[in-house]
Amino acid sequence: MIQASHVSHFYGAEQVLFDLSFEIKNGEFLFLSGESGSGKSTLLSILSTLLKPSSGELFIEGESVLEIKNIDYFRQSKIGFVFQFHYLINYLNVYENIALAALEDKKQNINKILEELGILELSSRYPNEISGGQRQRVALARALVNEPKIIFADEPTGSLDSKNSKIVYSLLAQAVQKGTTVVVASHDMQIENYATQIIRLKD
Amino acid sequence: MTAIKALRKNPLKSLLIFSSITIAVMAIFLISSVSQGVIGMYSKMINSDGDIIVTQKGISDTFFSNVDIGLIQKINELKHVSSSYAMIVGASPVGHIPIAGIYGTTANHFEHYKLLRGVYPKEGEVILGENLAKQFSTSNINIGNKKFEISGVYSSEIGFEEGGLVMNISDAGVLFNRSASMLFVSSSSPNEIESIAKKISDLSSEIEVKTTQNFVKEYNQFKIIENSSLVISTLAFAMGLMGIASVMSMIVNSRKEEFGIMRALGKSRFFIIKNLFFETLIMSISAYIFALLLSLGILALLPHIEMLQWYVNGTLSLSTALYVLASTIFMALLGSLLPAWIASKTDPILLINQGCA
Ligand SMILES: Nc1ncnc2c1ncn2[C@@H]1O[C@H](COP(=O)(O)OP(=O)(O)O)[C@@H](O)[C@H]1O
Ligand SMILES: [Mg+2]
Repeated sequence: MIQASHVSHFYGAEQVLFDLSFEIKNGEFLFLSGESGSGKSTLLSILSTLLKPSSGELFIEGESVLEIKNIDYFRQSKIGFVFQFHYLINYLNVYENIALAALEDKKQNINKILEELGILELSSRYPNEISGGQRQRVALARALVNEPKIIFADEPTGSLDSKNSKIVYSLLAQAVQKGTTVVVASHDMQIENYATQIIRLKD
Repeated sequence: MTAIKALRKNPLKSLLIFSSITIAVMAIFLISSVSQGVIGMYSKMINSDGDIIVTQKGISDTFFSNVDIGLIQKINELKHVSSSYAMIVGASPVGHIPIAGIYGTTANHFEHYKLLRGVYPKEGEVILGENLAKQFSTSNINIGNKKFEISGVYSSEIGFEEGGLVMNISDAGVLFNRSASMLFVSSSSPNEIESIAKKISDLSSEIEVKTTQNFVKEYNQFKIIENSSLVISTLAFAMGLMGIASVMSMIVNSRKEEFGIMRALGKSRFFIIKNLFFETLIMSISAYIFALLLSLGILALLPHIEMLQWYVNGTLSLSTALYVLASTIFMALLGSLLPAWIASKTDPILLINQGCA
């Protein structure tokens, strides 16, 4: 369970988030919607511990994020990310990119996940040697490898055509079915079909 | 290993760091070793014979020194003196060569120059250094406005001397209008050198007497070369090191996005710093070795370059090499790890966004 309490955020003098409080239950597929510039990415970054809010607090499983002792291990084991741009490391091949994120005892899962996402045969290619849709699937594989409790995705289909977008959404929906909490920020209304909860940000 | 993959996958960046480190290190090596070499060669020439040097009082440059050669007789009568000789060191146009070193010495010092062919010079004759001899095929040679017969060719370990010629001190005296530039005195007992120097200095009020060791240490021209080379090589070194540090920090800045991603994936700051540490280490050590080899190659070629008249010799001391190695690695690490450490404190998402900018 994720609990946001009075979260506000400023970039310099510009306020982007205004005193937000809400809860995301386990197993939910949350859709953060809103226009471009409404603060979706900012909120998602805060929810996923990648950005400290200017004020307010965030609790994950009842624990304040500020009090998590080993934030690195927490991120690696509990959270998965998918960004709009795949953000794979360019000097590592597909397998190595996933292995970089994987916990020691999850490395054995890598090939199984690649197989499930239909990209096993790309294992030894580099990010610049595969298509955009394939890259996003690798990014998804990387997010799934540690079997995290929560997956955050920021415009995961932003650079994909509708066919590839559908693939990504259904893969996320599958994760939800297995009990993972998924939070997606997007301006793409297609996700409404998959979402179990929607938060709409206004400018 | 991640570090090597990162270096291999970005060959252009790697080459940029590699070559900037190489150039910086080479500049340091060449400047400091050439000046060390010039000084070393000159002091070897002066040190090679004699324990005591007698020059004219108050003259800083031996080219202008004038000492009465008659003192030799009195010096030879002193206790513990085993031998002494006089020398005139000058420079003059020689045949078509615009300038060459001329060494006039008393006959008892001729054997310092190893004859390759011919005989040692009588009055009106000269022997040519091996390198100078290559320039002449005639049997005589014009020096100033006088003609000299060439009686032989010599070799010497000292580059200066191979580019010059040797004649009797009486001939050189006429040429340079003096009695002797310097007197060199050898002693049979090393413990007596100081006291002999004292006694020689009592012989005349117009002379300055120094042990060879002190002379080399205090000789103004050495100090000038030494100090200016110290300044230049320190500057080159500082610039080189700053170059290394700034290239490294540029590279690190251009990788903020990558570090942000790694932090988002749960990689620790330590993990990032560790990888960067090895990347930097591999890079700077291999560039250092490359620069060292190149410099040694160039230094080995220098004595054979005609344009430099074989005057320039370079030696690279182990302590310089190690000192440069240590500072190169230090600066490279400082340049890469410091900005990386600062960057890794930033929230991952901001790091990713900064990287895009
Ligand atoms: N790192 C930043 N520095 C300054 N302003 C930012 C930064 N990131 C986002 N903003 C601003 O905050 C507002 C919300 O941005 P964002 O959270 O990216 O919105 P969305 O994802 O909904 O498009 C925008 O006006 C944007 O210009
Ligand atoms: Mg956004």
